[in-house]
Amino acid sequence: MSYDADLNFVYAHTHKVAFGVNVVKDLGTFVGEMGLKKAVVITDSFLAEKTDLLERVKKPLGPLFAGAFTGVIPDPTAPSVDEGAAYAKEQGADVLISLGGGSAIDTAKGIAVVLKEGGKVLDHEGYHALEHPQTPHIAIPTTAGTGSEMTMVTVIKDPERKQKTFIGSYFLHPNLAILDPTLTTGLPPKLTAATGMDAMSHAVECLISSLGQPLSDAYALEAIRLITKYLPTCLEKPDDLLARGQMLIAANMAGSAFSNAMVSLNHAMAHTLGARHGIHHGTANGILLPHTMRFFMDVSAVEFARVAVAMGIDTAGMSAEDAGNRAADKIEQLVKDTGLTDRLQDYNVTEEDLPVLADVATTDGCIIYSPKPVFDTEEIAGIMRKVM
Amino acid sequence: MPIDFPSEEWTAAYQNAINQSPDYQEAGKTWTHGAIAFVVPKEPAVGLEDDTAFILDLHQGECRKAWLSTVDEAKQQPFCITGSYSQWKAVMRKELDPIKGMMQGKLKLKGNLPVIVRFVKAAQVLVELTGTIDTKFLDE
Repeated sequence: MSYDADLNFVYAHTHKVAFGVNVVKDLGTFVGEMGLKKAVVITDSFLAEKTDLLERVKKPLGPLFAGAFTGVIPDPTAPSVDEGAAYAKEQGADVLISLGGGSAIDTAKGIAVVLKEGGKVLDHEGYHALEHPQTPHIAIPTTAGTGSEMTMVTVIKDPERKQKTFIGSYFLHPNLAILDPTLTTGLPPKLTAATGMDAMSHAVECLISSLGQPLSDAYALEAIRLITKYLPTCLEKPDDLLARGQMLIAANMAGSAFSNAMVSLNHAMAHTLGARHGIHHGTANGILLPHTMRFFMDVSAVEFARVAVAMGIDTAGMSAEDAGNRAADKIEQLVKDTGLTDRLQDYNVTEEDLPVLADVATTDGCIIYSPKPVFDTEEIAGIMRKVM
Repeated sequence: MPIDFPSEEWTAAYQNAINQSPDYQEAGKTWTHGAIAFVVPKEPAVGLEDDTAFILDLHQGECRKAWLSTVDEAKQQPFCITGSYSQWKAVMRKELDPIKGMMQGKLKLKGNLPVIVRFVKAAQVLVELTGTIDTKFLDE
C-alpha cells in the first residue's frame, strides 16, 4: 500500500517471544523470572489425555505447576471461560499458561480478565475498556495458524445471545509466547494445511486492509515468504523441525500483522461458512483466498504484486495486475498441493444457500476493512460460487 | 451562533440533526441494541473541568432521547465510548475514523464491538451529522 503524509497508526503485540527446538524446557525459568509461583495450564482434553504435550509443559514447571484446566472447547463459550476462571482461582493461579490452538489461547485471555477484574467474562466485553494489566499469561501454540499468541483480542461465544463477542485490549497481549517446533510435529496433515492457509490469509488480507501500515506489511510479507517455502515441507516431512519452526514463526508474524491491520472479506466469508456449515476456518480461508484476491484485483493489484514477489515469482516486466494474478494463481496451486481440495458442496452448501450466506457475510465485522466497499451480496455469492 | 461542546444545548441540537436525517433513518433502521453513551474525561487544559457524558437513546433510525448524564449513568448503557476531548474533536472534524480510533485505543468501547461494527454506515452518518452543528470547542 502506498501511504499518505497523514499516515498514523499504533502498533502493538506480545511483549516477548521465545523460539527454539525444546525451548519449552525453559518454561520454569521464564515463570521464575516473572516472579510468579502458581501456574495453571489451560488446554483441552485431547491434548491432555491423548498426547504427551501437557506432561512436557508440567515437567519444567516443577513445583510451580498448580493444576491444569482441560475444559477448553473449540470456539470458546462464556460459560467455559467462567468455568476455567473458577478453577484457576481455586488453585490460586498467578500465571496462566495456554497450551493449544487459538481456542486455548483465547480461553486463557478470558480467564486472565476474570481473575483480575472479577465477575463473569461477559461483564468485560469491549475494546480497550480494561484499565489495568491483567493476569500474566504465557501462550504456547501447538498449531501454526491462528497467531492468537500475538494478538490483543479474545473472541468468546455468548450462547444466550447467540453472538460472538470480543474483549480487546493492549493489556490482553500475552506476556510471553513460546514457539517450540517440537510441539507441532504431531499435527495431522489436514490441520497443518488448514492452519497454514489461515496464516496465509491473515498475511495477504493485512496487505490490502484499509488499516494496513508499514509495520504490518513487513510482518505479512515475510510470513507469506515463509509459508510458501515451508508449508509444503511440513506436509511432506511432518517431523522436519526446521520447516515446523519456520511455520510457527510465519503464523506468529501474520498474527502480529493482523492484530494491527485486521482482516477483511475473506475472513468474513470464512466466519459465515464456519458458523453456518461447520467448515474449518483455515480450510474456508484457504480455498476462498485466491478468488477473493481476484475480486479485489481492480483496487489492490499493487499489493498483490508484492505478494507475488514474496512468493518468489519473477515479476520483472509484468504489470501489477499480471503479477497480482500470478500470486492468486500460485496461492490456488498451493492450496491444491496441500490437499485442501474441499468444495462448499462437500458441506451441504447449495446454490440456494449462497444469497443467505452472502447476506450474513456482509454483517461480519471484518468486512469493513476491505480495500473497497462490499455491499453487493451477489458479488460475495459470486466468490463463494467459485468454490462450490 | 456556535454551541459549546459538550453542553445540554449541543446534545439537543445533535438529537435534532439525527432525527432530521433521512440517511440515518435508513442506516439505523434495524438498530435495536439500545442507547449509546459518550464520555469525555475532564481535561482542565482545554477548559473541561469535570468528567462529562451524554447519552443517545437510538432505536430503529430514531433518536428517542438525548441528554447530558453522569459518567456512572453512561457506563450503565449497553454501549459506552470514552475518548479524550481532543479525540472527540478529531472525530467530529472527520480527522479520526471512529472505528479506526477504537482499534487503536484512542476511543475505548464498553459493549459488543461486532454489533457496532455491523452498523458502520450508521456510525458514519452519526459522525457526519456532528459536522452539521455549529460547534464551539472549548479550546478555540
